[in-house]
Amino acid sequence: MKWVLIAVLFAACVLIGWIFSMRYKKREWFYSALIMFAQKLDVEINFSRERLKKLIEAMDEKNKKNLYGLDKNYLTYLDGTAELSQEALFKNIQFLKADEKETIFLFFRSLGRSDVMGQSKEIANFSKRFDESLSKCSQENKKYGSLCIKLGVIAGLFLLVILI
Amino acid sequence: MLEGILPDTVYIPLANKVGFSRLNEIRLRADKPVLLSAMGQKFFLGESGACKELNRAIFATKSMIEEIVFRASECSIYSVNEQIKKGYIVTSEGVRIGLAGNVIEESGALKTMTGFSSVNIRIPHEVKNCSLKAYSSIVKDTGILNTLVISPPGAGKTTFLRDFVWQLSERNLAYNILVLDERGELNIGKGLGLFSDVISFSSKKIGFENGIRSLAPNLIVTDELGEWEDMEAVRYASNSGVNIMASAHSDSIDSFVKKQAFKEILDEKIFKRFVVLSMREGPGTLEGIFDENFSRLMRF
Repeated sequence: MKWVLIAVLFAACVLIGWIFSMRYKKREWFYSALIMFAQKLDVEINFSRERLKKLIEAMDEKNKKNLYGLDKNYLTYLDGTAELSQEALFKNIQFLKADEKETIFLFFRSLGRSDVMGQSKEIANFSKRFDESLSKCSQENKKYGSLCIKLGVIAGLFLLVILI
Repeated sequence: MLEGILPDTVYIPLANKVGFSRLNEIRLRADKPVLLSAMGQKFFLGESGACKELNRAIFATKSMIEEIVFRASECSIYSVNEQIKKGYIVTSEGVRIGLAGNVIEESGALKTMTGFSSVNIRIPHEVKNCSLKAYSSIVKDTGILNTLVISPPGAGKTTFLRDFVWQLSERNLAYNILVLDERGELNIGKGLGLFSDVISFSSKKIGFENGIRSLAPNLIVTDELGEWEDMEAVRYASNSGVNIMASAHSDSIDSFVKKQAFKEILDEKIFKRFVVLSMREGPGTLEGIFDENFSRLMRF
């Protein structure tokens, strides 16, 4: 019984470490998907000039999965069923910092507000900022993501030693 | 109609207290009262409906107008920039929204418009049988006579053309009709009947050439002739043996014949009938039908 309890506690510590590390992974995946999203928009706006709603709906589901519902929240604004606010846009997204939310919010607020050339320049400008955020998130993930798992393992081992 | 485009402060009194059936125009100007035009009369829009008192009027704001333009473009200004350059947007319901704002020019060409400060929303109507009085003067046993519908803006030219196409379809005259809908105003609802092909948002020149080549129409119906290149398109269609039904701005037949752009095709007598509409008894009032020599055939 004692060994089972020790195994469960060890697993729980590792799990907590993994959960903390996922935050960093999610941020990296999110920015990667956001850059893809912006690039795809830029290409389609220049090529097909299709409406934003159709463009977003037609995008690759696999990529949109890593936007964690941001695209769906924006679509509710395009449908006219919700206001464009930070609360509505980042509903269910907890892993972004306030200044990051502000930048992404400004990006979405700029969509569809100018002609093709202006829109393209806006997207390029924001993409550059998202690129910077992505490289920052990658570094953080490398540094803190693996650290969280390691800390979880160490904490588990520590408990294991105490309990034995 | 216009739900999701107009802000609630304007849409709710319009839809609940005024209704769109008799409305012709809605004008919103930044920091000025919302103005309605119905049956040739002007009203302010108040919270309890149409009113004549300024102190009861709802005032439009600049941000309200910018949001209307954004929403009318389906949140995609870039997709309608070619229309914006011409000074309007046409919504998916065929509602034409005229724009005023800051024009951006680059190298002498109009690039776009920003900072929208006024919109003029024209409500389209399907008035069934409004072209019937003129129908027998235009459609003969030998075929359809080239016809130009003349009226001042907002007097029912587009409604007349739409109904005329529908009347042809109703009589099961299997004419192949090409509707060249340059501004997206003609093709709304089911008003164009069974025998029409529609080319939308094309210039007259390109639309006439491509349409005649690829769709072999018997009749081309188009709105608002006025440019020199429109006359070339009309001449091209006429020389190709295709009939034309079109419209043009003018307040009377006398002032119309003085328009320089039309001089040559009038001299060539390409158009055999002129239908003149006015606002005298409300939009679509038929003033008269004239032949190619501008002799009155019918008075109403």
